[in-house]
Amino acid sequence: MVTDIFQAAMLVSLFSAMLRIATPVIFAALGELVAERSGVMNLGVEGIMLTGAFVGFVVADKSDSYLVAVVLAIVAGGIMGLLMSFMSVSLKLNQTVVGLGLNLLASGLTFYLYRISYEIEGTMEIPRIETLQNIEVPLLSKIPFLGPIIFNQNIMTYLAILMVPLIWFVLYRTKLGLLIRGLGEYPRAVDVKGISVDRYRYIAVMFGGMMAGLGGAFLTIGYSGIFVQEISAGRGWLAIVIVIAGNWRPGRILFASLLFAMLDAFQLQIQAVGVQIPYQILLAMPYIFAILVLMGSRARSVPPGSLGEPYSRE
Amino acid sequence: MLIPFLNIRIIRRQNETKLSQILPVLIALFAALLFSAFLVWLAGSDVKVAFTALWEGAFGNIRQITETLNKAAPLILTGLAAAIAFRAKIWNIGAEGQLLSGAIAAYWAITTFPNLPPVLMFIVILLSSFLAGALIGLLSGYLKTKFNVDVIISTVMFNYIITFLLSMLVDTVYRDPESYYKWSPKIPDVAQFPLLLEKYRLHAGIIVAIVAAFVIYLLIEKSPRGYEIQAIGHNPTASDFKGINNAKTILFVMFISGGVAGLAGGGELAGLIHRLRVDFSPGYGFTGIIVAMLAGLNPIWIPFTALLFGALLTGSLKMQIVAGIPVALVYAIQAIVLLFVITAEFFTLYEIRRD
Repeated sequence: MVTDIFQAAMLVSLFSAMLRIATPVIFAALGELVAERSGVMNLGVEGIMLTGAFVGFVVADKSDSYLVAVVLAIVAGGIMGLLMSFMSVSLKLNQTVVGLGLNLLASGLTFYLYRISYEIEGTMEIPRIETLQNIEVPLLSKIPFLGPIIFNQNIMTYLAILMVPLIWFVLYRTKLGLLIRGLGEYPRAVDVKGISVDRYRYIAVMFGGMMAGLGGAFLTIGYSGIFVQEISAGRGWLAIVIVIAGNWRPGRILFASLLFAMLDAFQLQIQAVGVQIPYQILLAMPYIFAILVLMGSRARSVPPGSLGEPYSRE
Repeated sequence: MLIPFLNIRIIRRQNETKLSQILPVLIALFAALLFSAFLVWLAGSDVKVAFTALWEGAFGNIRQITETLNKAAPLILTGLAAAIAFRAKIWNIGAEGQLLSGAIAAYWAITTFPNLPPVLMFIVILLSSFLAGALIGLLSGYLKTKFNVDVIISTVMFNYIITFLLSMLVDTVYRDPESYYKWSPKIPDVAQFPLLLEKYRLHAGIIVAIVAAFVIYLLIEKSPRGYEIQAIGHNPTASDFKGINNAKTILFVMFISGGVAGLAGGGELAGLIHRLRVDFSPGYGFTGIIVAMLAGLNPIWIPFTALLFGALLTGSLKMQIVAGIPVALVYAIQAIVLLFVITAEFFTLYEIRRD
């Protein structure tokens, strides 16, 4: 009886950790989905998440307003998206190289700005902020087992999950969504109708950047409470993998995000229990899993027809 | 083409001149310099003091010049790794992981055969580190040709995986029992690269790197293989028609690219660091990408651009001490240079007119 309760509590904490860990990746992957559906392969997600994490952290720390922090993280992500679209859509530079450039920029710049904003003040203690509080939904959180998992999360996790049907609706049930999907498949058709391909690709990529910035903000504000160099730790890249594994569809992307998050939640649990495995093996699991997932799904998944190709009339 | 929201039109240049090719790059470097000055100013430091310290820290005296050369050596190799792959439009950004696997393999070889004579030891170090990097690269190539897994993603994943592997090794089997730090014991003297000058740390790695640059130059520019590499870079469909085996070329490129990056790891281990440790590479694999891009993916130019970024890394130490600017600035500068230079590349091909 006692072990039953113990096990149930373990499972609740495992699944609830999964949702929390999935949150930033769901945001970033949905944003990347929109950008890729418009035909732009934004490989800068990792860097944009890092930027969001940094901006969110600094603003939350200096202003104590989490709302302002999140909004500015979104704005910062949008600016990175603007840079990506300017260089890849307008200048038609190689999207891979531009994406890599953004990652390196974010990595260097956040590290530098963090150092000059904090360490120069001579404090040896790591600056720390309070993380977002969980919001217990009345009544629903009392549902046995599922209640404490789903209805006792912080506001950003709720938002991330709500974004999934929202993005699905916009992509598949609105004119804008049809347009964006058209841009990714056959931009010429959109162009012929007199609609600016570039303008809507800008919008899609900037939206993707804003979502990645939002996801990044969660890393510091919602999860760790501290900023460290490379805090995004490959989550942006996992978001790109998840978009492929989810075959460019919102529902499957949610599922893939949860699967990866489960792996992470599981390794946290194992470490907490104190199983004698080098922790590095546990930490490497999501990346190994990512390669295996791609090996299994790449043959079956179908990317948007014009993904990664700059559009020009000639 | 029209830029949205602004009425600016971009048209292809009619005549390409030498000036229209070089000028944008120079302007890009100047713009990157200005931006860096802005970042220094942001930190509340004197820009002139900081940049003087940067210069003196890199080239101020013989010791600093030798340190700069030592930093340039791995950058030449990772730059070559990026250049050969990018020429074929194969996006190997796994040089960091390939470098680390080269170091791990060389360490394994040294500790397994510690009694080899020096010359043989030197060869074993080069071979083992090259092969380890090459096999990791080949694995990414295989994942691409067999399972259509994008090279860019698999190489990024391997960067993370191998970083964890290194961390695990220095925490367990290779852990130095006599040290508080998580690092391996030092390699024996016989395995250390010969020093080129007395009293300085300048080691043979720079020679290995320059020889490699020459070999890669011959491979890309003067061999039939090089022709195939450039052909799939230009147009994979057309090269397929010409009877070039694209899959085989991808595997070959990834093998060489990974191998050259692996050499950088062996060179760092035997030449400078002498042990495995978690912070073995300050991102040489990523800086190599920028080194290669700035050199226009041309192996002949890579030693020069590598020297530039090596100087930044060395000089930044003095800049930190003298002007209080965090070393992290270098990484921001590197990325800014990359973004400005690829933008400049655009302006060598196009010009802008107001509508």
